[in-house]
Amino acid sequence: MSESVIRIASIYPTLLGTYGDGGNVLALKHRAGLHGLVTDVVDVSPGEPLPRDCDLYVLGGGEDTAQVAAADSLRADGGMTQAVDRGAAVLAICAGYQLIGREFPDATGAPSAGVGILDIRTDRLPKRAVGELLTRPDPQAPAGLTDLLTGYENHAGATHLGPDARPLAQVEFGVGNGDVSEGAISGHVMGTYLHGPCLARNPQIADVLLGWVVGEQLPHIAEREVEELRAERLEFVRRSGR
Amino acid sequence: MSRKLRTRMAITAGRMAAATSRIAGRGEGMVVGGRVMLKLAPDAIADLANGRVAALVSATNGKTSTTRLLANAVEQLGPVVTAATGANMTSGVVTTLASGPPDATAVLEVDEAYLPMVTAATKPRVILLGNLSRDQLDRMNEVAMTARKWRKMLAENPDVTVVANADDPVVTFAAEQAPRVIWVGGGQVWTADSSVCPECGTLLTRSDTQWNCTGCGRKRPETSWELRWQDGSGTAVSRLGQEFDLFGLQLPGRFNASNATLALAVAEQLGLGLDESVKRMCQVQAVSGRYAIVNVGAIRIRLLLAKNPAGWTELIDVMPPAPTPVIVSINSNAADGRDPSWLWDVPFEKLRGRTVIATGDRRRDLAVRLLHAEVDHVVIADPYSPAAPLPPEARALDVIDNAATYTAFHELRTRAQREATSE
Repeated sequence: MSESVIRIASIYPTLLGTYGDGGNVLALKHRAGLHGLVTDVVDVSPGEPLPRDCDLYVLGGGEDTAQVAAADSLRADGGMTQAVDRGAAVLAICAGYQLIGREFPDATGAPSAGVGILDIRTDRLPKRAVGELLTRPDPQAPAGLTDLLTGYENHAGATHLGPDARPLAQVEFGVGNGDVSEGAISGHVMGTYLHGPCLARNPQIADVLLGWVVGEQLPHIAEREVEELRAERLEFVRRSGR
Repeated sequence: MSRKLRTRMAITAGRMAAATSRIAGRGEGMVVGGRVMLKLAPDAIADLANGRVAALVSATNGKTSTTRLLANAVEQLGPVVTAATGANMTSGVVTTLASGPPDATAVLEVDEAYLPMVTAATKPRVILLGNLSRDQLDRMNEVAMTARKWRKMLAENPDVTVVANADDPVVTFAAEQAPRVIWVGGGQVWTADSSVCPECGTLLTRSDTQWNCTGCGRKRPETSWELRWQDGSGTAVSRLGQEFDLFGLQLPGRFNASNATLALAVAEQLGLGLDESVKRMCQVQAVSGRYAIVNVGAIRIRLLLAKNPAGWTELIDVMPPAPTPVIVSINSNAADGRDPSWLWDVPFEKLRGRTVIATGDRRRDLAVRLLHAEVDHVVIADPYSPAAPLPPEARALDVIDNAATYTAFHELRTRAQREATSE
C-alpha cells in the first residue's frame, strides 16, 4: 500500500454506531477527497485484532451494554494504546469518547474500566442531556479550529478532565461535559459528545484530524450544503434562546 | 353494559373535546379526547377493555399496517374496534375502545413504550411483537431497554399468548421467557440494532436463516410460522406444512408480507379461519394513507412513510429504479425524533443515478447526507407549488414517490385531503 493513502479504522461499527456516527467515516473520506488525499477504510469487528498500522481510528456512540463490550474488547486487544504511542489520530464520539477514558458508568451506573488513552473519567449527570449542542473551540484548540461547533447530544455522562487532557471547546448551548467545557483533546486523541454526525456538521474538525495525519494544516474548503445546514442550526439555537 | 358511571361520563366529555378539536381544524381529535377521558376516569382503559381485547400489536415498524391486516381478519367473527389513524399511545387506545359497539372485539396498535401499561390495563388474549430498532432516540429508550421492559411485562402477564418475530434477536430476548410463545420467522433486513446479544453483549453470529450467540448459547427459536419470500412475492408457511399465498396482498414489499404472516399466526391463536383471514387481509389497500396516491399542489404523489433506518432500508426496494426521481421529506418534530442524524444510517447510496428532491424542515440535513452519498439532489422548500423548480423529469411523471417522516407524511396527507375537498 502506498504511503500516500490515509488508512482509517472504523472501530466496531456494529457496536458503536447508534446515532448515525458512521457518517463521520463518510465525512473523512469526503473531506480527504476534496483535499486530494486518498483514503482506505477498514471496518473492524469486535474479536478481530485492531489493525496496528492505521493513521486514524474512529469510534462512534452506542448503547450501555455495547459500550462495555467494546471497551473490554479494546482493552484485551491493546492496539489502541500502541497506536496512540506512535502518534496515530483518534476521534471518539459520545459512548466512544467515554470508553477511551479511564472509567465510565455501565448500564447500572457502576464504574467500568476504559481503554485509558484519554485522561478523563465519566460518571452520571443528574439528568440526561438531550438536545442541540453548540460550542466554541477552546483557546488552546488545534489551529484551524475556528468556527463554532454544532451537533446534537444524547447522553447521561458527566465527564471530568484530568491534567493530561484539555477541553475541545466551551459550551454555548447545551450540556457537554457538564461543567461548561465540551469534549477533550490530548495529543492527537480527540473525544466529543457532538453527534450530527460531528464531522459532517463540522468539517473543520475533519480537516484537523486529516491535517494531523499528513503533518500540515489543510486549507478550508467550504461546501454550500454544509454551510447552509450550519447556518440553519446556528439560527435554530439562537431562536431557542441561547 | 357494565361500564362505570365515571367512565361513561368521561366518554361524553372526551367526545365533546374531540369534536371541539375537529371543528377547530386541529386534526381528528383522538388524542385530545383521549386525554380528557383519562383525566376524568384514570382506569377507563381497563373498564372499557373488559375482556374483549383480542390482540395488541407493537413494533418499531409496521404496527399500523399489521393492526389493520389483523383487524380485517378478525372481522370475520363480527364487529371490531381498531384505531383508524395510528393513534397508539394511551389516549389513542382509550378513544378507540370507547368507539364502536361496547362488546366489539378490539384489535389495538400500541406504541412500544406504552405497551406494558396498556397490557396491564387491557389483559389481551394475544400480543404481537414484530421488531425493535432505533427510532426517535431522543424520546424512546434505547432498543435494549425497551426489550427489557417488554420482558418484565410478559413475566407479569403470564396468561397472554405472545406471537413474536424469531428473526429479531431483541424481540426474541423480550419474548423468550413468556409461558406461551408462537415464534414466526418474519425476517429481519436491518440488523444494526441487534448486532450483540441483548443479554450478554457477545457479537451475534448470523447466517441467512439463523442467528446465535456464542457467549450464552441463545439462538433463533424453532418457528411455527415462516415467511417465504421469493421473486417479490410471499408465502406464509406453517409448521404443519400449510401454505398461504400472500401474492394477493395489496400492501407492497417484503415487510408487509412479514406483517401478514405475523397477523396470520395471531389469527390462528384466535381460532379464525385462515383462508378467510388471508382473503380479508388481501382486501386492505392503503392503511392510514400509506402508499396512497394523492394530489398535492401541482403534482401527484405516492405517499410512503419512512421514519427510521430499518423502515428506509426496506422501502428503497419498493421505489421505482433509477433514474426515476423521488421526493424525500424530512421533519424533526417530536413524533419524528428531534435528532435526524439517523439519516446517516439510511443507505441513501442506493438512490444514486437519480435526482432526489429534498424537502421538509430538515431538508438541509438531507442535502448534506445526499452530498456524502454522491446522490444528485435539489433542495426545494415547497416542491408542490406550481412554480417549484422541479427537475423536468420529475415534472413529467404522472405520479412521483414521496417518502416522508411521520409528521411530514401527515402534513402531506392533510394537505391532500384539504385540497380535495376545496375543489
